[in-house]
Amino acid sequence: MTTSFLPLLRRNLADSWRGTLGWTIGFVAAIMLYIPLYSSFSAQDTGFQDLIDTLPSGLATTLGFQDLTSGAGYVQATFLGLIGFALMTIAATLWSSAAIAGDEESGSLELTLAHGVSRVQIMVERSLAVILRLTWLAAVSALLILALNDSAGTKLEPANIVGGCLALLGLGVLAASFGLAVGAITGRRSFASASAAGIALLGYVLNSLGNQSADVDWLHNISPYDWAFGNSPLRDGADWDSLGLIYGISVVVLVIGGIAFNRRDVSA
Amino acid sequence: MTYAIETRALTKRYGRHTALDGMDLAVETGSVFGMIGPNGAGKTTAMRLLLDIIRPTSGDATVLGESPRAGGAALRRRIGFLPGELMLEGRVTGRALLAHYADISGPVPAGRIDELAERLGLDLTRHVRKLSKGNKQKLGLVQAFMHEPPLLVLDEPTSGLDPLVQQEFLTMVREAQHKGQTVFLSSHVLSEIQTAADHVAVLRNGKIVKVGDVATLRASAVRRVVVDLTDVSADSIRNTLEALPQLNDLTVMDGDIVHITGTVEGHIDALVKAIAPFHVVDLRVEEQDLESSVINLYSSEANNDN
Repeated sequence: MTTSFLPLLRRNLADSWRGTLGWTIGFVAAIMLYIPLYSSFSAQDTGFQDLIDTLPSGLATTLGFQDLTSGAGYVQATFLGLIGFALMTIAATLWSSAAIAGDEESGSLELTLAHGVSRVQIMVERSLAVILRLTWLAAVSALLILALNDSAGTKLEPANIVGGCLALLGLGVLAASFGLAVGAITGRRSFASASAAGIALLGYVLNSLGNQSADVDWLHNISPYDWAFGNSPLRDGADWDSLGLIYGISVVVLVIGGIAFNRRDVSA
Repeated sequence: MTYAIETRALTKRYGRHTALDGMDLAVETGSVFGMIGPNGAGKTTAMRLLLDIIRPTSGDATVLGESPRAGGAALRRRIGFLPGELMLEGRVTGRALLAHYADISGPVPAGRIDELAERLGLDLTRHVRKLSKGNKQKLGLVQAFMHEPPLLVLDEPTSGLDPLVQQEFLTMVREAQHKGQTVFLSSHVLSEIQTAADHVAVLRNGKIVKVGDVATLRASAVRRVVVDLTDVSADSIRNTLEALPQLNDLTVMDGDIVHITGTVEGHIDALVKAIAPFHVVDLRVEEQDLESSVINLYSSEANNDN
């Protein structure tokens, strides 16, 4: 019996639009900085691939620079797999840890809980709000990459741009789900932040280690980063099985967080 | 007789620390019930248990006929709550924040928010984070009262309010009572709620040490007295006053004006009659903080019983 539609979600969005706007500018700036540069890399005889080939192979693979000369490889290596991933992880960490744990530590959650809302409603609406804001960042990225596709000559399939940004969003949602759930379970912002950033960093490190040699190639199997980007979504299209796995785990983590949140004491 | 709040052996422990120790409480529907005790006595713990913000270790509570846990969000719509440590932040105006709380509370009558804000002298157009402590407290009172809930649970409602606003708050409490609402409020100072509350429970170390009506508690409270006399010698007044059984902690300082301090338990009548023959320059009777008056009284009674 709610008197209005998703009141907590709307409150969260209204409280955070300035922050979301700032992050949007960050994403736009990163894309505007990197994507247009592709034309100078891709031109014949720039010798750029030769330069990459001279790098120690370990370094090039760690950074994901094996294929910088195709549009898909370039956008993946510079934005999707690097600066976009970093920005998405930081946004997910900050927003997810603030949504419940931060509110609890500041003492505001107590008053919200004293009104006609359930714990589950708080978990659901605030999780949705964080996911919605991350989705906005991914959508802006996809649209901007699409808009620059012709002028930069990246020659990406529009559907693959969507697939790539869904993968990026998946990593953001996964990190956010850990931040939200750990915040809901512990009520501590530091734990929430550490788990959100930790899961993202762990995925990245496992992927980089897995790139080093065939002996440790199996590390890819347990790296969410590899689930998202291992099958080159920008080149070959969305990998729906992997996306299902990433988003599915996020939902399970959120449900566990919600159940624990419903059972525990909340205090300032 | 129906009760808006009933608790039976309500207990909350945090590890080895017992915040609330078997509280039995019954608050009649339509009454104004005060809970007083020093900081850390368990007042806030008790109120959080009633709102299902925390869950009891043992014992149970019934609020408006339902258990706080089972009643859930629907029950909390029928309660107006003011937290003891009110934290309001955000770059939103008071009006926007109240609109949000109205969204997640029972329905708020049109014009009610403005009426309450005006009565308390609260500017709803200012950003919440820029409000002073007193103004935040006013905002907290508005969100508790605005949907006219059957039960109001107010933790230290007068803290941070200046005396005029305190008076307006007490008027609001009386109006609520006339409408049939039940008010359960706490304070660490008896004088702040004595004019509002019909009944008072004294809480100490998580236990209720006394429940009574305000007049009885007040009559038995310990008060600090200061008397300045002339035309009397320090020794003779000391002998006179030492004979009074209600007077303790007596000090007499000699001088042109003899300065006397002490504490009085119960009625002040005997002291006034004892000093009446002399020239009284000054007489002050100060109610002590509850911590050092009622509570000391009842804890010393408890010790004597042992």
